[in-house]
Amino acid sequence: MLELLEALLASTLDYAPALVFAALGATLSERAGVVSLHVEGLMRTGAFVAAVAALSLPTPLAVCVGMAAAAAVAGVHALLSLRLRADQVISGMALNLVALSLFSFLLEARFSPTGTPPIAQLSRHGLPALEGVPLLRALNGHTALTWLALALPFALSFLLYRTAWGLRVRAVGEAPAAVATLGVSVAGLRAACVVGGGLLAGLGGAVLSTSTLDRFEQHMPAGLGFMALAAMVFGRWSPLGAFGAAVFFAAGNALRVGLASSAPGVLAVVPQGVLMALPYALTLGVLAVQGGRGQAPAALGQPYDPEHR
Amino acid sequence: MRALDDVSLGLAAGERLALVGENGAGKSTLMNVLYGLYRPDAGTLSVDGAPVVFRSPRDAIARGIGMVHQHFMLVPTLTVAENVVLGAEPTARGLLLDVQAAEAAVEALCARFGFQLDPRARLGELGVGARQKVEIVKALHRGARALVLDEPTAVLTPDEADELFAVARRLADAGTAVVLVSHKLKEVLAFCERVAVMRRGRKVAELKAAGTTPEVLAAHVMGEPPPPPPPFQPATPGAPLLQLSGVCADGPQGRPALKGVSLRLCAGEVVGIAGVDGNGQRELAEVVTGLRPLTAGTLEVRGKPLTAGTPAAFRTAGVGHVPEDRHRHAMVGSFSVEENLSLGRHRVPPFARGPWIDSAGRHAAAVLEMERWDVRPRDASLPMQVLSGGNQQKVVMARELSLDPAVLVAVQPTRGLDIGAVAAVRAQLRAHAARGHAVLLVSLDLEEVLALSDRAYVLYGGRTVAELPRAQFDERRMGRLMLGTEVDRG
Amino acid sequence: MADGRLARALPSLLAVTAALGACFVALAAALGDAGLAAEAFGQMALGGFGDVPRWLSTGDAAAVLRPLGESAGKASVLLLAGLSVAVAFQVGLFNIGAQGQLLWGGLAAAVVGAAVQLPPALHLPVCLLAAAAAGAAWALLPTALKLRRGVHEVISTIMLNWVAVALVENWLVVGPLQGPAGAGTAEVHPSAVMPRLLGESSRLNLGLPLSLAAAAAVAAWLLRTTHGLETRAVGRGQEAARAAGLPVEGRTWTAMAVAGALAGLAGAVLVLGSELRYPGRLAAPYGFDGIAMALIGGNHPLGVAASSLLFGALRAGGTRMQLLGVHRGFPELIQGLALLFVAARLGWAWLLLRRKETPRA
Repeated sequence: MLELLEALLASTLDYAPALVFAALGATLSERAGVVSLHVEGLMRTGAFVAAVAALSLPTPLAVCVGMAAAAAVAGVHALLSLRLRADQVISGMALNLVALSLFSFLLEARFSPTGTPPIAQLSRHGLPALEGVPLLRALNGHTALTWLALALPFALSFLLYRTAWGLRVRAVGEAPAAVATLGVSVAGLRAACVVGGGLLAGLGGAVLSTSTLDRFEQHMPAGLGFMALAAMVFGRWSPLGAFGAAVFFAAGNALRVGLASSAPGVLAVVPQGVLMALPYALTLGVLAVQGGRGQAPAALGQPYDPEHR
Repeated sequence: MRALDDVSLGLAAGERLALVGENGAGKSTLMNVLYGLYRPDAGTLSVDGAPVVFRSPRDAIARGIGMVHQHFMLVPTLTVAENVVLGAEPTARGLLLDVQAAEAAVEALCARFGFQLDPRARLGELGVGARQKVEIVKALHRGARALVLDEPTAVLTPDEADELFAVARRLADAGTAVVLVSHKLKEVLAFCERVAVMRRGRKVAELKAAGTTPEVLAAHVMGEPPPPPPPFQPATPGAPLLQLSGVCADGPQGRPALKGVSLRLCAGEVVGIAGVDGNGQRELAEVVTGLRPLTAGTLEVRGKPLTAGTPAAFRTAGVGHVPEDRHRHAMVGSFSVEENLSLGRHRVPPFARGPWIDSAGRHAAAVLEMERWDVRPRDASLPMQVLSGGNQQKVVMARELSLDPAVLVAVQPTRGLDIGAVAAVRAQLRAHAARGHAVLLVSLDLEEVLALSDRAYVLYGGRTVAELPRAQFDERRMGRLMLGTEVDRG
Repeated sequence: MADGRLARALPSLLAVTAALGACFVALAAALGDAGLAAEAFGQMALGGFGDVPRWLSTGDAAAVLRPLGESAGKASVLLLAGLSVAVAFQVGLFNIGAQGQLLWGGLAAAVVGAAVQLPPALHLPVCLLAAAAAGAAWALLPTALKLRRGVHEVISTIMLNWVAVALVENWLVVGPLQGPAGAGTAEVHPSAVMPRLLGESSRLNLGLPLSLAAAAAVAAWLLRTTHGLETRAVGRGQEAARAAGLPVEGRTWTAMAVAGALAGLAGAVLVLGSELRYPGRLAAPYGFDGIAMALIGGNHPLGVAASSLLFGALRAGGTRMQLLGVHRGFPELIQGLALLFVAARLGWAWLLLRRKETPRA
């Protein structure tokens, strides 16, 4: 039993970081009032660019390159939605489609239709002291990014709720005009959050190709970006809530995969597909119960026009 | 046209200055220049005798200028203290937001100026009067030495307004210059020492408040005395067409907005609803057009009860609607003029043939109505949103009156229109009543109510507190009734 | 009037042209040879619109008909999915859920096509009806959440897409509905297959006329009937529509049902036209492509038809680019960029509008 739990925990910790980073990225951008449907595309960007960069660079550096690429894509979203006042949903979907087709094209043009050649994965660490502790030893054998995924939600929460900058971010997502009359740049603040969100979502993508696997695969991130959005909504647009939801979804996935291999009998009763639908169905349920837009920032998706307050 | 033309104005410490003028006279533009939101094309701005250039509100704030906007600039999800310090946050160890310092700062300011505010309260839970105090504290926290109050009493009850002026007076006594932007001449004269009058982007007069009467000030505001209204043809009322008794309804936040409205409209009459903004006018107009459900009372159109109706049911019963916000409630901006003219009667000839739109019939009918109403430019295929406000209103009136409604509900029908359009719209309202229908005129402009109505009700606190026939129209007395300072004994 | 139509189509034409240009430049730079890039674009055109030179020189009609058949297959699915998104836009809703509705439609068509025995004249219509009904039913879920609980349709349709993928592809077609040949349903009866229109030389089937008829019907409904006028009014000025006594909720329900039905039909065309069963995974994300088609086509049914025909041809022609070593996904990149330019164009239009307004203020 204990071994099963440990395996489950280890598997969750492998699966969760990508979801956590992406959900945090979406949360940051949406708290500032900018819709983040482009997270899926950002993850794909991060995953692809990090994998390709890792072919010629040390993997940790490649991860940073992937993050930077995703941030650049997020910058396009900021440009379109903040400066050119494109519809944020449309801009986000357009970027998803571009990322989908661009990296499929580049992948097949440069490598093979299925994926890049293998790269050196990020190294895995462990604390020798934990080895003897039941359950907790599952924390060992993960990359540094897993540890970061456990710490970053608290850091982002601190940033949003305890710092002056965070206060401004929360305010700009609720009432941008109020922020503008205090002489703070609405577009600047929002652009910073969108690009910051891009870095985080790009990191989430890079996890997939440098830690979870050792290459970029054609279908990455296969809808994880949308599940990150679900985690954000489920977590009511707060970093810790999104973290909790992401880990919950990851644990559900680990359980499902674990059951498939160790207790296939269970899956005859509750089919795989039904289990896979659960995170999304749960999110819908939460929204339906809360009604309205749940806890979404009041100014989410509304372009701010300084001349028509 | 220039929004501001060669305006010069000075302000001394501790002074109470008023800026008055009609809508569009340039008051708000001038204040936005002062606050760094707009930049002037020419001219200079000096603070403490030194010329300054404000690139953004940040520069204005740094020079000690504070502003309380008519529409509050507050974040409902944050606390009072967070709202106050936003953009000028006290920090501890560099980044950290110092919540204790923020709350202490709010408490100190409240203690100094006699406000009652809980710095930890969430702003969304506060009432309008308290929110305004938060705005003032916000400006003071930034070290405002000159405080602009833009139409501050528009949303306040009379008691709250009195309290506001008491606070503002204390601020002025402590050395803060206060600028009151308003078009309520009586409160201006009661509070200020000096009055600057704006008209069409120019400063046309500067007066000492002492010894100036509202009438003198009004003459400056209007320019020339207003043109004589067309002779009034009194109505001979016929059968009752609309009857409300004891009607109650909730407002937007679910709080009761109508707490007992009883009124009656008869054929041939224009009946005015007078009242200060926020006393239930909007809800009353929505109730009598089916947009808002009643919570109590009865409503009858032509003798038939219509308590749980939809807008469609009210239309079928013969109620037409010229709403206050035509952009939102009366027109589809991206639709053509002829499509807008057809809305609501688009299923009947000449606008339709069976399930199909009759393009030729619709176009011909639209052209005819545009000619009758003198809508310009006379192109029925133009998108509605490119028309001027006056022409849009004519299209809306044309459509609503074409249905020949027994009861026409007109809310602020001339707001924002130029003088020619105002006269045309008013004449059509009187003419509609003269054809044996009834018009319910809801207006915040008492002068409009007095000019057009055969009878008027005063709405105060969600109740009809007085009913006056035209013979008893008295501006002063109605003003007091509207403010609740006099109770009707009639 | 004609000028007005041209003016409305112009931004989309510019965006498509700009995307084509940008992709050409990118390809030329990547290949390091502009001539080779031009040849690749030429192959794409020949593969999409038919090898006319070869037909003229050899008299081989199949050189044109075969590519056109492939283009038509892609275009008809794109068109139906695009119409789905465009119809939802008419009531102001963003139907990101076309993908999920498409999956259910495809599944319904496959199941009815395989499990029911009917004469050919009846079987295909029944399959199409089933697909439309399935798509419509799935679209009514987010509509109910929106109208009854105020849940934003963008979030709910995204979630429902993944619920649909999980239920259909990870459960039904590998579980209860699995056919004899591994993952996927059983093959449909010949009576349910979309008949080919040009014999064996081309895969052009009933799907294209069906989708074009759908576009014409949607155009007639929206632009010529009073019901369509009401539908458009709901999306463009909901409060005004309500105040004018229009049944706002009723029109929202119908428009979303039609949107779902159209997406369901797109799935049916895929299944009954080319796959002949519901495979383990149903092809490309045509539902998302529908968003691109709707926006590039300016949400006008005929604009959607034009952009679907163009991109259907380009995407079919993409296979032929492979001859020159260019990946066949290239046309999708053009499509993505065109959508991005269209999205940005909304911004340009706004900036221009504002510049014109400023002097009046």
